[in-house]
Amino acid sequence: MEITSLFKKEIVSNGGKLMAKQKRFAYTSLTPILLYMGLFTLFPIVWAVVMSFFSYTPIREGSGFLGLGGANPFIGIDNYIELFTGTSKPAEVFRLAVKNTFLFTALVLPLNLIVTLPLAVILESIGERFKTLFRAIYFLPTISSSVALVIIWSYMYAPGWGMLSLMFKAVGLVPPKSWLQDPNTVYFGIPLAMLCVVVAHVWQDFGYNLVIFVAALQSIPKTLREAARVDGANTWQEFWLVVVPLLSRTVLLTSVLTVISSLQVFVIFQLLTRGGPKNQTQTMLLSIYENAFKFANNLGLSAAMSMILFIIILILTVTQFRILRTEWEY
Amino acid sequence: MTTDAPKKPSVGFVLGKSGAYAILILGLVGTLLPFFYIMVSSLKTTAELRQTPPDFFPKKPTFEHYTTILTDEKIPLAQNLFNSIFVSLTRVIITLFTSSYAGFIFAKYHFKGKNLAFGIILIQIMIPFQVVMIPNYLLTVKLGLIDSLWALIIPAFIDAYGIFMMKQFIEAMPTELMDAARIDGASEFGIYSKIILPQMGPPLASLGIFTFMSTWNDYLWPLIVLTSPEKRTIPLLVVWFQTQHVSNQGLVLAASILTLLPIFIVYIFLQRWIVDQATSSAFK
Amino acid sequence: MKKLFFVLVMASLLLTACGGSATEAPTASNEPVEIRVWGHQAPAFNEANQKMFDDFMAANPNVTIKYETFPWDVFIQTIQTSLPAGNTADVILIPGGYTCRYAAGGQLLDVPADVMTLDAAKDLFYDAPLGGQTCDGKLYGFPAEYNIEYGGAYVNPALFEAAGVAYPPAWENWDAVLADAKKMTVLGSDGVMTIAGLHYTNSDQLFTYFLAGILEQNGNYFAEDGKHFNFNSPEAIATIQKLMDMTQKDGVVDPIIFNADSEWVGDSFAQGHNAIGVLGSWYAGDAKIGYPDLKFDYVPLPPMMGSEHKFVSVGGWGYVVGKSTQHPDIAWKLAAFLGADQANVLFFNSKSATIPAMKSVAADAKYVEAVPFAAAVLPILDAGAYQGNLTDPDQLAYEIVYPTILDAVQGNLTAEEAANSINEAANAMVDAAQ
Repeated sequence: MEITSLFKKEIVSNGGKLMAKQKRFAYTSLTPILLYMGLFTLFPIVWAVVMSFFSYTPIREGSGFLGLGGANPFIGIDNYIELFTGTSKPAEVFRLAVKNTFLFTALVLPLNLIVTLPLAVILESIGERFKTLFRAIYFLPTISSSVALVIIWSYMYAPGWGMLSLMFKAVGLVPPKSWLQDPNTVYFGIPLAMLCVVVAHVWQDFGYNLVIFVAALQSIPKTLREAARVDGANTWQEFWLVVVPLLSRTVLLTSVLTVISSLQVFVIFQLLTRGGPKNQTQTMLLSIYENAFKFANNLGLSAAMSMILFIIILILTVTQFRILRTEWEY
Repeated sequence: MTTDAPKKPSVGFVLGKSGAYAILILGLVGTLLPFFYIMVSSLKTTAELRQTPPDFFPKKPTFEHYTTILTDEKIPLAQNLFNSIFVSLTRVIITLFTSSYAGFIFAKYHFKGKNLAFGIILIQIMIPFQVVMIPNYLLTVKLGLIDSLWALIIPAFIDAYGIFMMKQFIEAMPTELMDAARIDGASEFGIYSKIILPQMGPPLASLGIFTFMSTWNDYLWPLIVLTSPEKRTIPLLVVWFQTQHVSNQGLVLAASILTLLPIFIVYIFLQRWIVDQATSSAFK
Repeated sequence: MKKLFFVLVMASLLLTACGGSATEAPTASNEPVEIRVWGHQAPAFNEANQKMFDDFMAANPNVTIKYETFPWDVFIQTIQTSLPAGNTADVILIPGGYTCRYAAGGQLLDVPADVMTLDAAKDLFYDAPLGGQTCDGKLYGFPAEYNIEYGGAYVNPALFEAAGVAYPPAWENWDAVLADAKKMTVLGSDGVMTIAGLHYTNSDQLFTYFLAGILEQNGNYFAEDGKHFNFNSPEAIATIQKLMDMTQKDGVVDPIIFNADSEWVGDSFAQGHNAIGVLGSWYAGDAKIGYPDLKFDYVPLPPMMGSEHKFVSVGGWGYVVGKSTQHPDIAWKLAAFLGADQANVLFFNSKSATIPAMKSVAADAKYVEAVPFAAAVLPILDAGAYQGNLTDPDQLAYEIVYPTILDAVQGNLTAEEAANSINEAANAMVDAAQ
């Protein structure tokens, strides 16, 4: 008894010291990390927000802090007003870009799911060895350099003699005379060029969702499916009544992730179609890039554009966390 | 309905086994054919590349484009390759260290303001790169890093995803070992380096591979901050070939293959980890 | 290790800071000096420049020249982002139309009087290219060439022969060009055009001929204040109509297959996909290197809308010096060596097959001998003027004029609609920049 109480005392007093030591360690370790985050994450965010209220281009030397002010004056919400209602080319193109970005996303998501869901179910049903092999190969495009993939697709879509045109001709179909540059070929309000980019992007990206779905399918407890079968369900019923409900949260979450990433696709638009024809594949990100770094160097306007993109993504991210928070038990 | 109850749940009810394989193989061809096509095309002569309509296979396979790209002294390929490797590896090392270290602290220490600090780090995940692209560019200018490889490294010291991942992993580790080490007089940093790190092989490997691949393939940020030809990374070299007035398709193709190859090699050996990592990172 | 991490961060920051912003003391003339030069990634340019750099380095053994080249898009972006950052090369071979933008922002040095005065430059160079290097009455650089996208076209003898058209062509007027082009246009069995008789639907070409068409009819594309535009004048509408008719009535090109992003005129011509390719003579040099077996000539085109040649030019590439240079004296010495020395200019223009900005070089028999292709446009060099302050020339040409006219040519707008749309967008651009 005496010994234990003595021991306890020592632990308590030592524990106080230990705790203080641990806290000191945690604080001193985190301080540089947080300072760094302040400089490279928080400061740029604030800077971007502030800049979106200025007419700012680094070509002019401003007078205030960070060159904001003087020759680069504060203009309130004029950048935003311009983007929403202005008649200048960048504003008009940006509004089109917002539309295109949503159109792209709206096409990518269903196409992705149509490809990946059945494929995942089929893949899950085959033997382990082949499953790993197929999965590995389907995943290949997602780890490849987007730049190289765009080169590949420029060969696929080359007018007249590209792989796709030749394949069309081989089966007796008439290929479009230009896959990527014909502004007048529009199906159900969707320009051909946009469809082509969607296909190329889904090809490049479907591996992600596929492996996630396969993993989700694998994680469904066998007992549940067996129980269903014992209860007399056939394979079809088993699939719809057991697998689909359990998969739905994964599908929902994956969809949100797909949407968020689709809003941020850049390389394929910049290099394959350059936003053309007639801005039919111009996206928000391309507009941000072009206005900041290619044309007038209008960083204030570009910053306002990126704020609009940010708000859209923020809403989706919040949705994503909501879904994540709803815990589902199998 | 089912005559023989399958051991594995199968889609046999719709397709049959051969049907399932037929679809999978079709998908396989669709995935690999484009890669294969540009690979064989990169072995065509310039004249053959300009021929319309083209043949699928080269008549006389030649490595001339690869020789040109590797030996032409006006093309700093070796330098560009080095840049890509240097930046990717440096980022891997730094990311692994900062992620595991910060993850360790967030997982195993209790202190005031922890949630706030973690929230600040999570902001990085919430903010799309494009939003901070412009200020980051101006910041890079102010730091004098424009046209320096460090411009690709310094802003990427901290990877919020990595910290998050490592925190999840370390939280699951038992605390007993740590306490025992403390009683033995180990320093806090000693606990990190001697007890935590040795147990973290698999997650560190996954994070490392992923960091390597995403850095290797990165295009937009290098495009903005690098200017000199000898500072370029490999994807920039491909685009440089692609946008010349007299297009030299052979060089474009050869450069593309050289961009893809290192990643493919890494992938062949580590594909299981890579795919698993992709799966798990989506859920955490 | 914690310390190590911190040290690592600080060390790398310090290292790069030193590398980036070290301000060297002015160097004595014999100390080794590295001069960075930026240029455009074009084979013909590079070969010509390299030899002159070697000469300069031989004459100035303490100077090392580091020459860096970029493709067009990257180059523009590099200049735009690096100039304000004060991280440019010492001497920049800058594209036409950009000098004044950066001069106005205080990013370039003007030519010191002891290197050359503006009056001396006026005697030496043609108005159009010199205009591109002169801002607010001050000289900012030496024009290296005279950019002229107008007045000439590439012709492919094989395609002329195949269609039974007389070669070389001697067109009296634009109708004669179109008549020949029609004969050479070929459609495939599926109705898709495989060879365009006349490829004029490129970005630079539609822009150039739009402005020139207005001028040929004695119109003006500037509004009275000299800053805003007047792009919906009758002359502008008539020019757009003409550009549309050539496709829609004469059918000499399919603008969906042949445009700036698909079948770019140069490569398209070199691969035999168009018989007459409207493009500046600068491409001849590139084509000879890239397509050594190609047989072609560069011939004069008659005026499209009027009876006399009238056109504007973006100026042309010119040598300027960035304000961040550590060695302004050597930089100007090099710029003058490259851009104002008659023998070197002759060499550069001959070797790169560019049109001389320097009058005496254009008149030099050696030049014509070296660049026979230039003969097509040499007689009209005096008819060109500088395009003036277009606010943002790239945005105007590539985002406003080209896409709108291409849209009209592709059949989606009338000439009036196109003219009004261009006028509105162009003036909004001017307003936004105020």
